[in-house]
Amino acid sequence: MTQKKILLVEDNADDADLTLRALKKNKIMNEVVVAKDGLDALAFLFSATEPRELPGIVLLDLRLPGVDGLEILRRIRADERTRLLPVIILTTSREQEDLLGGYRNGCNSYIRKPVDFSEFLVAVQQIGAYWLALNESPA
Amino acid sequence: MSAGPVPLEAPGKRWQLVTTAALAVVVLPLFLPQVFSAASFLPHSFCYLGNSSLITLHVVSDVLIWLAYVAIAATLGYMVWRGRETIPFNWMFLAFGFFIVACGFTHLLEAITLWRPVYWLAGYLKAVTAVASVATAVLLPPLVPRIIAHTRAAVASEQVRAELAASNKELEAFSYSVSHDLRAPLRAIDGFSRAVLEDSGDKLDEQGQADLKRVCAAAKRMGLLIDDLLTLARTARSEMNRTRVNLSQIAQEVATRLQTTNPTRQAEFKIAPDLIVEADPGLIRVVLDNLLGNAWKFSGTKPNAVIEFNWQKQDNEVVYFVRDDGVGFDLKYSEKLFAPFQRMHDEARFPGTGVGLATVQRIIRRHGGRIWVEAAVDQGATFYFVLAGK
Repeated sequence: MTQKKILLVEDNADDADLTLRALKKNKIMNEVVVAKDGLDALAFLFSATEPRELPGIVLLDLRLPGVDGLEILRRIRADERTRLLPVIILTTSREQEDLLGGYRNGCNSYIRKPVDFSEFLVAVQQIGAYWLALNESPA
Repeated sequence: MSAGPVPLEAPGKRWQLVTTAALAVVVLPLFLPQVFSAASFLPHSFCYLGNSSLITLHVVSDVLIWLAYVAIAATLGYMVWRGRETIPFNWMFLAFGFFIVACGFTHLLEAITLWRPVYWLAGYLKAVTAVASVATAVLLPPLVPRIIAHTRAAVASEQVRAELAASNKELEAFSYSVSHDLRAPLRAIDGFSRAVLEDSGDKLDEQGQADLKRVCAAAKRMGLLIDDLLTLARTARSEMNRTRVNLSQIAQEVATRLQTTNPTRQAEFKIAPDLIVEADPGLIRVVLDNLLGNAWKFSGTKPNAVIEFNWQKQDNEVVYFVRDDGVGFDLKYSEKLFAPFQRMHDEARFPGTGVGLATVQRIIRRHGGRIWVEAAVDQGATFYFVLAGK
């Protein structure tokens, strides 16, 4: 069985590399597609010319240049093909507004990136264990 | 005569004066001998030569005017009663109300005297109306500058409110940026330092490795500082929702959480049961989190430490306190204890950012209360606080 891809939507190159590193350290070997901004992410998910296989999970940053994370989440939930996709918000903000915005728009989980990389390793390990192994998602 | 405007419990004595004067001019004429006497006067309709159209025109108009005036006065009275704490010069509205009612009754009497020639009563009522009108006319002019000042002040305070709302919005945007943009580089500093340690740590000597670990520690510390500052900012701008809060229950939850962080530690929490206050539950939790957290931290070096949360009556006030028997501190240096970033102990022994007590003080003040401390070196510390009633 081929492993599902992970779509990582992250505009900060440092954060993207650290997330990739954390995935590798946790031996999560799924292919990771990095979208550097909102348009990139939308192009990957909704490209009309070449319908792609959907990712297994989306790791979504909120504050992105152009189309922001909540807007991407809204579009994912609005489209019949992607509306059941597990979306995990992975962001810096702990502001109530963002949390509410995330859950109101139907994110599956909201995780705040800790400063401490060892804590981040644990967070990524748990995301992988839960969303890629334990949890049953609709095909 | 109608009871006039509803009596009210407004501050100031002017309204009492107005009501008393009104009652006096209404009641006194009733004791005059000929007030209800119609004597041998002819009803007023004779003047109209019994012309029924003319009589109808007068009666309908006078009765309508009477009804409308009474209704207007009732509305004024109701408004003053509802807004008795906020409407300025409300006695003036009562004077107006009385004057309008009096006018209304002169019109009613006009209609009555068409058939019943109670001209004395009508005359007295006109006199009452005259007194009320003159009084209102005399009282009104001196009020003009004050009313104008009041309106200007209201406009000004509305402007201040709008400016405050705008600066609050700005602050919100600012703290959002702080929470997001300042933390991202810290993650990179910590993450990549660790990456160097893991991937090429063997190329570094012991000193190099230790230094890099200090970089990580500093980044984490700055992360904590940012978080604490955000909490401090949030306590200032978040809305207050006062409800009944069980302080004892929150304290117990905090205590349980603290004990799970170090299950082997022998420390006793003595929490008085069922201390109920009116407060914002979220904010008051931050207070107990910090005070009990501090007590736990600064008694950590002591075996069998005792941490107490209780209350006492002091000068007719309910004073809550959190007491520990830990390292304490010299009160001489406590002046700035509640200012942000002020610390009494060295970071290595007792880690912390120095923002906690500043946050606590701000929350207590937002509840209209006070906080103070008693402490001595090696004899623990007691933080007292009062929460003002609503």
